[in-house]
Amino acid sequence: MIDTPDLITSLSSDMKPVRRLQPPLLRAAGWLGFAAVLLALIAINRGIRPDLAERMQDAAFATSMAAALATGILAAVAAFIVSLPDRSRLWLLLPVPALILWLSNVGYQCLTHWVVIGPEGISPGEAVRCFSTLALTGLPLSLLLCIMLRYAAVLRPAAVAITGSLSVGALTATALSLFHTIDASAMILMWNVGTAAMFAALGAAFGGSAMGWAERRLS
Amino acid sequence: MTARDLGERAVVLRVVEGGGPDDREMPRLRDLDWSILMARAQDGDRAAYHRLLTEISPYLRSLATRRLWNGADIEDAVQDILLTVHAIRHTYDPARPFAPWLVTIAQRRLIDRLRRQGRIRRREVVMEPEHEAVAEPQHDTGLDGHHLQAAVDSLPPAQQQALRLVKLQEMSLKDASHASGMSISALKVNVHRALKTLQKLFSDRDQS
Repeated sequence: MIDTPDLITSLSSDMKPVRRLQPPLLRAAGWLGFAAVLLALIAINRGIRPDLAERMQDAAFATSMAAALATGILAAVAAFIVSLPDRSRLWLLLPVPALILWLSNVGYQCLTHWVVIGPEGISPGEAVRCFSTLALTGLPLSLLLCIMLRYAAVLRPAAVAITGSLSVGALTATALSLFHTIDASAMILMWNVGTAAMFAALGAAFGGSAMGWAERRLS
Repeated sequence: MTARDLGERAVVLRVVEGGGPDDREMPRLRDLDWSILMARAQDGDRAAYHRLLTEISPYLRSLATRRLWNGADIEDAVQDILLTVHAIRHTYDPARPFAPWLVTIAQRRLIDRLRRQGRIRRREVVMEPEHEAVAEPQHDTGLDGHHLQAAVDSLPPAQQQALRLVKLQEMSLKDASHASGMSISALKVNVHRALKTLQKLFSDRDQS
């Protein structure tokens, strides 16, 4: 084992100046801006679902969209704040109210209109397009978040990964509601909550190691 | 809590923090110094960085001593924390106090270390002297020097030579190849065959 004073000497003699991180709110805003651009590009490419204006009249639908979006934004802010060593972990609770509102709203919609999904149900073609939207939104957002938060790999990987993934999941669910006609009860539950839960679970399982990988590759 | 309780608590805290008088005034009084040193280090001031790391080391050691017991482990942990501080020094914001930033990093690294040790302890068993209590040496196992010598002598000459050079004299394959004139692959083949023959010889003897 090398002596601690020797280690200090070698660290300080090899040291290069570093650029300080921007404030977490600014960095979260940057990432959310990227998400907005991504969603806009998909919207231009695919077109918004035809009945969006009509659906937005429905209070339950509008609330659930707004709550999903708020969950995504607040979870992103929380992830960027908590990734720093000197911030309180209580920031992790930031997206919780929006998350509760969103989930309870989705649950309420399921309960009140347990709509049968037409005679043919959701067409296979629509499900495939749903998956492609999921991948198109979720993957770039996760990758960028991983790179931006890579330094958290040595600090609080699990908490940061789960909050970050929740944000990706909520934004992806918002995208799904914007682009696809999937309002029938079970489908809402599956696509909305399923997406968020899937991203959070993936984040919990692989987020830490993915951030570690980004840390080794880019630092 | 009464004033007396507070007084007693302060005494206890001082005892726990241990070390010399320097330790006691840390980290509050040093915080500003360290914050300035780190800000200068981020801008590339190597002397400031050297001073900062030298000054925080005893403090980190006192933090590590509270969680770890083994001396070498404590020093290892201090170095681990210093390396982490180095790797993520860009995350420090000079507008904020330095100590909370440092303490969180230190605690995270120490907890990770304890968890890793816990995992290793669950999987591995410390080798105690009583684990070595094997059976009495048996007589006539057929493995004494005399028998072994006889068995080696019964091998073909090339195998004998390869075995002597590589296994008994522990030469490297290259040196052994030089000394014997055999190629490295021939040496490997001969050693392998010799060991196989010996193994067979002794297992036959054990069974008989």
